[in-house]
Amino acid sequence: MGCKPGFSFVFVLLALTCFYFNFTISYAQGLPDFAGVWVPDVRDQVRQESANPPPWTPSVLPQIQHLAAEERAGRPFLVLDHCLPYGMPSWMLMTHSAFEFLQTPGRVTLLGEGDGNRMRRIYTDGRGHPEDVDPSLHGHSIGRWEGDALVVDTVGVAPQSYIAINEAVGIPNDGGMRISERIHLVAPNTLADDLTIVAPKVLSGPWKTTRLFRRYPERHYEIVEGECVQEDLAEGMDAYGNAIFVPHPQNPNGTAQLAH
Amino acid sequence: MISSVRRKLLALAGVVLPLAASAHHSTANYDMEHLVPLEGTVRTVSWTNPHITFVIAAAKVGGEEELWTFEASSPGVLGRSGWTKQSVRPGDQAVFYYAPLRAGGHGGLLSKVAFPDGRTVSYSLTPVD
Repeated sequence: MGCKPGFSFVFVLLALTCFYFNFTISYAQGLPDFAGVWVPDVRDQVRQESANPPPWTPSVLPQIQHLAAEERAGRPFLVLDHCLPYGMPSWMLMTHSAFEFLQTPGRVTLLGEGDGNRMRRIYTDGRGHPEDVDPSLHGHSIGRWEGDALVVDTVGVAPQSYIAINEAVGIPNDGGMRISERIHLVAPNTLADDLTIVAPKVLSGPWKTTRLFRRYPERHYEIVEGECVQEDLAEGMDAYGNAIFVPHPQNPNGTAQLAH
Repeated sequence: MISSVRRKLLALAGVVLPLAASAHHSTANYDMEHLVPLEGTVRTVSWTNPHITFVIAAAKVGGEEELWTFEASSPGVLGRSGWTKQSVRPGDQAVFYYAPLRAGGHGGLLSKVAFPDGRTVSYSLTPVD
């Protein structure tokens, strides 16, 4: 029949070897593979609201109780007002939107979806934090690989950035916050972010909590452009006939303007 | 130095702007436990972040028409649930299942759309098989 078992065996072995090396190289020199689009486990987020709430300080607790009561009454507070990014740690705690994890030499980048300019850079090139960090909503993050985990330290988060357990209950961290994360795979397509949040102005002690994210490689999900302010705008035309966006106001609770 | 007039304008803006501010928001203002069907025709589709908005024309008793505004989750969430911008188009007639506004009014959070030919589209924050 012209069959050459020896040749076939060598060919298969060669193919498997090539696949293995490509596979290994794609894992960025042996680092765990976090690349791809991750969807938050929102059901688990909801479970965590009651299973492991933050240790709010006694002075803050009445604010939280008020916000929770308002939520139950159908008058949700707008944690994510003005289309600002979620900021840290709310992005990891309570987003409903997916994010993409990019692993490149010297840094890890998280690209968000749904609210404008959501991006986290986690430097893994050995640098430390700047002595005088410019406060930002996501802060300054440095990370290092420890075995199968990315260990991240974040400082310089703006005091206005919320510690929120959902989209209606949360308060600003008020400054001095430090966030430690241990990001690791707990299954081939399940990512866990173990967070320890120290926020002395609003928490009575370190808050340890975990959030889960899931990857669906067979579905080839993409991150879509997500400008939050877009909902306030409608397609229109200027006096010259140019295609522009025109204001499209919303209701006080953030929902779209009713039709009439 | 900010003039007193400008300061007053800024103060006024501080009062007015939050009413116009956009936001990704909680769904606590909707009664998620009681989905309601509404038969109608799609007038407009705003495929926008952070929420998609549909305006629906529905007939009311007496033959007049009234407009309803339904919002849904984000293009990302609906896209991952199999929707495209063309899934629900202006002119489509369908039954719209929505969680009503707790405060009342012609609005709600859209959950599912059922077309006359039996096709349905819905979505989930967490992908389902």
